[in-house]
Amino acid sequence: MEPVKLTAKDYKTSVPIVWCPGCGDFGVLNAMHQAAAELAIPPENLMVVSGIGCSSRIGGYVNAFGFNTIHGRALPIASGAKLARPEMTVWAAGGDGDGYSIGTNHFVHTIRRNSDLTYIVMDNNIYGLTKGQVSPTTPHGDVTKSTPMGNPDRPLNPLALALELGATFIAQGFSGNVKHLRDLIVQGTRHKGFALINVKSPCVTFRGRQEFTVVREHGVYLDESHDPSDWNQAHEVTQWSEKIPLGVIYKIEGVPTLDQVAADLQEKAREKQHFESTKDLLRIFH
Amino acid sequence: MRDVTLAIAGSGGDGVITAGDFIVQAAARKGLNAFMLKSYGPQIRGGESSARIRISDRPLYSQGDFVDFLVVFSWKDLARFLDEIKLRKGAVVLYDEADKTPPEEFPIDAELGAELIPVPFKKMAAEEIKVPLTKNMVALGVIAELLHLPLDAIKDAVIKKFGKRKPEAAEVNIHAIDLGKKWVNDNLPKGTQIVLEAEGTDEPKLVMTGDDAVAFGALHAGVKVFAGYPITPASPILEFLSKWLPNFGGTVVQTEDEIAAISYAIGASWAGRQAMTASSGPGIALKQEALGLAGIAEIPLVVVNVQRVGPSTGIPSKSEQADLYQAVGGTPGDIPRVVLAPSDVEDNFQVAIEAFYLAEKYQIPVIILSDQFLGERSETIDEKVLFARKRVISRQLAKLNGGEYKRYKLTDTGVSPMTIPGMRGGQYITSGLEHLEDGRPTSSGTIHQVMSEKRARKLHLIAEESGFVRTYGDPEAELAILAWGSSKGAVREAVEAAAEQGLKVKAIVPQLIYPLPEKVLDEALQGVKRAVVIELSYGAQFYRFLRAYYDGLPAETYSYARGGANPLLVSEVLEQIQKYAQEA
Repeated sequence: MEPVKLTAKDYKTSVPIVWCPGCGDFGVLNAMHQAAAELAIPPENLMVVSGIGCSSRIGGYVNAFGFNTIHGRALPIASGAKLARPEMTVWAAGGDGDGYSIGTNHFVHTIRRNSDLTYIVMDNNIYGLTKGQVSPTTPHGDVTKSTPMGNPDRPLNPLALALELGATFIAQGFSGNVKHLRDLIVQGTRHKGFALINVKSPCVTFRGRQEFTVVREHGVYLDESHDPSDWNQAHEVTQWSEKIPLGVIYKIEGVPTLDQVAADLQEKAREKQHFESTKDLLRIFH
Repeated sequence: MRDVTLAIAGSGGDGVITAGDFIVQAAARKGLNAFMLKSYGPQIRGGESSARIRISDRPLYSQGDFVDFLVVFSWKDLARFLDEIKLRKGAVVLYDEADKTPPEEFPIDAELGAELIPVPFKKMAAEEIKVPLTKNMVALGVIAELLHLPLDAIKDAVIKKFGKRKPEAAEVNIHAIDLGKKWVNDNLPKGTQIVLEAEGTDEPKLVMTGDDAVAFGALHAGVKVFAGYPITPASPILEFLSKWLPNFGGTVVQTEDEIAAISYAIGASWAGRQAMTASSGPGIALKQEALGLAGIAEIPLVVVNVQRVGPSTGIPSKSEQADLYQAVGGTPGDIPRVVLAPSDVEDNFQVAIEAFYLAEKYQIPVIILSDQFLGERSETIDEKVLFARKRVISRQLAKLNGGEYKRYKLTDTGVSPMTIPGMRGGQYITSGLEHLEDGRPTSSGTIHQVMSEKRARKLHLIAEESGFVRTYGDPEAELAILAWGSSKGAVREAVEAAAEQGLKVKAIVPQLIYPLPEKVLDEALQGVKRAVVIELSYGAQFYRFLRAYYDGLPAETYSYARGGANPLLVSEVLEQIQKYAQEA
């Protein structure tokens, strides 16, 4: 019997979606459904781990083992899950506040360990669920509910940060281009190691519909002239100030992942120590 | 004497702890019981340190209130331990004559009539062995000879430590030990000895610290993912598992912070593997939000808290029992959790297994409340006792038959069959949001009530699990001491001492603190007219906890509570027993 071909529909759930009409995150969700189908991941072998925020509700909107965790902790929870079940596919997801503010420490160290996850960040430059406060990627000077005189801080550059930290896969997508984003998620999932996919995913309620226009006007799709294995080129792209790079910015293979390192260590330990049972281990206490 | 307590005090580089370890290992080899407390100052290297070792052929429950035999490398260092090292009348004190402190300035109470003996520890090590660092081994030889400790067993321990890698180091150390022994015979009159008359069973015992025991217990229970962040006094758990867990197919991650550590454990357990994290009070505070997630999402999880003196940084290297409130009441919301309290080193091993048993069976976070006093002390343990109790640790997985799967199905027990990734048709949404039976989020107050009841049902069953209360002493006594965790040692010893004085008293020590096993406590308290709750918490957390959560206390219930740092003494407990027993 031929296996049944999975389609995007197979990854939808009955959980009611709480997003505002026109929210950029719908595009991301569609791209995730399509990517899962394209990768033909059986839903029971997929884990989608998110944090807290509008976008983090996405953990419930994909037919998978979804986990809508706590604020900022999607990455360590996803990493623990991957470590426990390396044979499974793990997607982590969340927003810019979740990943680049309260969860920054985990962002840094998950990259350092090259935990084999695809991390989809719906970057909307605002705290949406709490109704409109300044976020770590809000442009300098922007008026928000918590910065009535304009944002005094300069925004964080997640792409440059990830590159500097040694991330092995860095891409940027746009929720207004589902097909392109789907391809990025597919590539990120196939990549062995930590894959950051920062998605420009506008908040129409607190940032306005024009955010879509901004990305459309300033977005530049990286073409063949960009070599994603070239760190210097990647670095230059992350420093663009007017243009918004879209596509795979940086990618290297062959860096050991957290779960591979763990498996190697287990093998090494068994060769060296070869304890069959915990009773054998008693001799260390004599 | 059948029961000797000796102490060695010096600076970090003096090898005080190493010498202590050898004594304990030698005792273990002879089948004797030993108990060792280590104490350090705040310095990383070179600060004061002391080892306090008690040896007997009788079971040992505490460190012993008084020291019979003291070795001082430096009077200045000893002065820092006066809180902890109290000499018995007529104790023998050996001090290094290289310390030129005038005798009138020795920090020793003249009324104790201690026998003071100068010994050239440093000189012998430097001039005869030519290795000044061996002065601890010279002292070990002196101690062994004076106490009649088994010298062959000490030498065995030395050889084992240096092993095949450094045979010359073993030789030098053994030479130093022999030199110490010879010095005693050449210089001290016969009769100076405090002879330890304990006969070992010759059945070797194990030597374990409480931190190692809890880690070993977790390993035995089948932990597969451990995540931790370094913190005194819990780091040895991280180190033990880092060394041994990979051999058993598991992984240790030293995470970026405390929150990540519990998060890794939650993720791993949710994905289907037994997981644990460990920390001390300040780190546990950081983990509280995630602990609540494990509670509402009903994810099995074991969290060890090796309590230290708080609040905030407190005294990191010393013990207290003041994280009880944090354990039973931490995290926002009404979240079911289990709190287990081990009471000695062996119990740390058993409680780790019980923790996994309860966590997996009831899909609930379990907190193990150990403390520095348990975690960092060494005790000899009978191998036979260790594996005597068997527990089947398993998680109830759903049987999927193609129908609709409800992760949080309302059941009589409150436990709903779980699925883990890879189980076809078992997908669901897990979250910290209040949820319907199938996991979908809800804001309904009615559902919140129903789900709160469901989660609480598990607690009623856990409270009825057997074997979680220990009682000691006279079952008919009208006076009871209520204690928990590491206080058990001094309490148990005091209860035995009281019995010898003809005082009727019993001790009740619950191992399961939350939910309280009320029925068993009711039985234990039958006929009891007065109770004293004894603990090392200035705020009397256990007393107040019992008052708030338990209706069965006798009308006359008193509190004896003080801050930690100095271990609970047998004499302190005995005083309470005498006070309240005499009112009978």
